Amino acid sequence: MIRRAKGVIFFSICAIATLIAVSLLFVIVGVIFSKGISAFSVTFLTEESKNFGQTGGIFFQILGTIILITSAGILSLPIALGTAVYQTEYLWPSFRRAASIVLYALNGVPTIIFGLFGYAVFGLLLNVGVSWVSGTFILAIMILPTLTVSIKEAIDSIPVKYRESGLSLGFSKWKLIRVIIIPHSFFGIVTGLLLGLARAAGETAAIMFTATVFSGVNVPRSFLEPITTLQTHILVLAQEALNPQARTNAWGAALALVMIVFFISIVSMFIRSRIRLEAER
Amino acid sequence: MMPLFSLNNVSLFYGKAPIVRDINITFAEKRVICIIGPSGSGKSTLLRTFNRMNDLTPSFECKGSVLFDGHDIYNNGTKVCQLRQHVGMVFQKPCIFPKSIYDNVLFGVRQLYRMKKIEHQQVVEETLKAVYLWDEVKDKLRSSALELSQGQQQRLTIARALAVKPRVILLDEPTSSLDHKSAGAIDALINNLKGEITVIMVTHKLDQARRIADDVVFMCDGMICEAGTSKHIFETPGKSETKCYIKGEEINVPIKGFVSSQVIRLKAEGY
Ligand SMILES: Nc1ncnc2c1ncn2[C@@H]1O[C@H](COP(=O)(O)OP(=O)(O)OP(=O)(O)O)[C@@H](O)[C@H]1O
Ligand SMILES: [Mg+2]
Repeated sequence: MIRRAKGVIFFSICAIATLIAVSLLFVIVGVIFSKGISAFSVTFLTEESKNFGQTGGIFFQILGTIILITSAGILSLPIALGTAVYQTEYLWPSFRRAASIVLYALNGVPTIIFGLFGYAVFGLLLNVGVSWVSGTFILAIMILPTLTVSIKEAIDSIPVKYRESGLSLGFSKWKLIRVIIIPHSFFGIVTGLLLGLARAAGETAAIMFTATVFSGVNVPRSFLEPITTLQTHILVLAQEALNPQARTNAWGAALALVMIVFFISIVSMFIRSRIRLEAER
Repeated sequence: MMPLFSLNNVSLFYGKAPIVRDINITFAEKRVICIIGPSGSGKSTLLRTFNRMNDLTPSFECKGSVLFDGHDIYNNGTKVCQLRQHVGMVFQKPCIFPKSIYDNVLFGVRQLYRMKKIEHQQVVEETLKAVYLWDEVKDKLRSSALELSQGQQQRLTIARALAVKPRVILLDEPTSSLDHKSAGAIDALINNLKGEITVIMVTHKLDQARRIADDVVFMCDGMICEAGTSKHIFETPGKSETKCYIKGEEINVPIKGFVSSQVIRLKAEGY
């Protein structure tokens, strides 16, 4: 009787917790949607911002976000792939766990630390100032653990028989990696990349004083020029608390950002389910 | 004639524990050799030393010398990849890559040798015929190999190993996950390979060994109990353990480190 009561209580707690988490998401998305939709229009998405963002659109901010996360992804992917392959294929088995712990720890570092570190390296040491290249490097390092862990998990889930089969055919280690390991972790690589991109798209702190500026730029014409992103745009507009037009535009930009992140997440979820299908075969 | 494989005082270890002890045996080329014996007697462990697949287990160690064509394969100078190109292997369960039948056959060769398109086609046809799969799949070479039955998949797996043109093929219970009819097809293909390449096969099924083996090695408790021609082992076995095993009776194997009255009872399958 008591055990049953305990079960019911435990179930209720779990159910309530889930309900809170899910409804919170709905509330946040709902608020952003209802407040942002009034700013949304074709011109809002396709025009450049004017008058310090109080009028005009967010075209270059959207473009900037996409450019920045893409370049970070392109830089991060080969490093992550190399790290994951090195860890699973070459590193001494007893060190593999230690390497994983380091990666998870890196994943937990607050992003402002990356920003500070990036500022110290790029801003002070290399003196490249606020620039696209700084942002690219900082975000690439930031998403590196996410990406590496995801690729590593995909490699770990490759059936042993594929490995054995390749080796018994006389493949060298490198051939095994090229022909079996990388192709069979393809979906893991893509999912990891998308999750990393989604994370980078939401990042503000790390790039605030190293890569992005609020106004006066459209697209960077060189790696050394600053870039403008949705995140920074929202941050600055939200501080203009007294100007209703600025606030509406902030909500509009937030909605655009949320849509980008959601889109990336949904695509990665879709691909993740593909992996599972692949693994079950 | 020089033997293909020659093992001298070979002992195999996982960590400190000797799994296989004091093996002295030679295998002649182009024969079908069956390794039989109760479960846990070290058949797979022995088989996996012939192409150094045991290397995947970090704690594995081989003492003594294993000569392939007169070269010690556990020597430092051995190129393991080249050894494995000469000594192919197929495991218990079929291993099919999510690709077409055509690409599955070519999976290994294509990576190892530079070949023209036309040669690809020849290799596919030749090897699929050798494993008696050609007639069943010749109209759907480009469709996914995952659609094949288990038995067909296992023959395709063997075809992939054969396409590399190995001198030896190692088979570890290749029919134990298959039904009777599919197993028969595999037996037929091994018979077909007779005289072409060396086949070393581990099997639990005595009737299978009786049908296809030229030579039989009977392993028991990590040692070779008796070895000889198929005729010798099945008709005039010398040792009492062998007699019991091939009759399908239980044999008593003392476990080292236990009180001598404690024995494990082992029985051959297939009876
Ligand atoms: N990777 C390993 N690490 C440690 N011990 C192992 C390993 N593989 C096998 N063994 C041990 O070696 C012994 C022999 O195993 P092996 O697989 O060679 O037997 P087998 O004759 O092939 O048996 P079966 O007929 O059941 O396949 C077993 O006692 C097993 O526990
Ligand atoms: Mg075995």
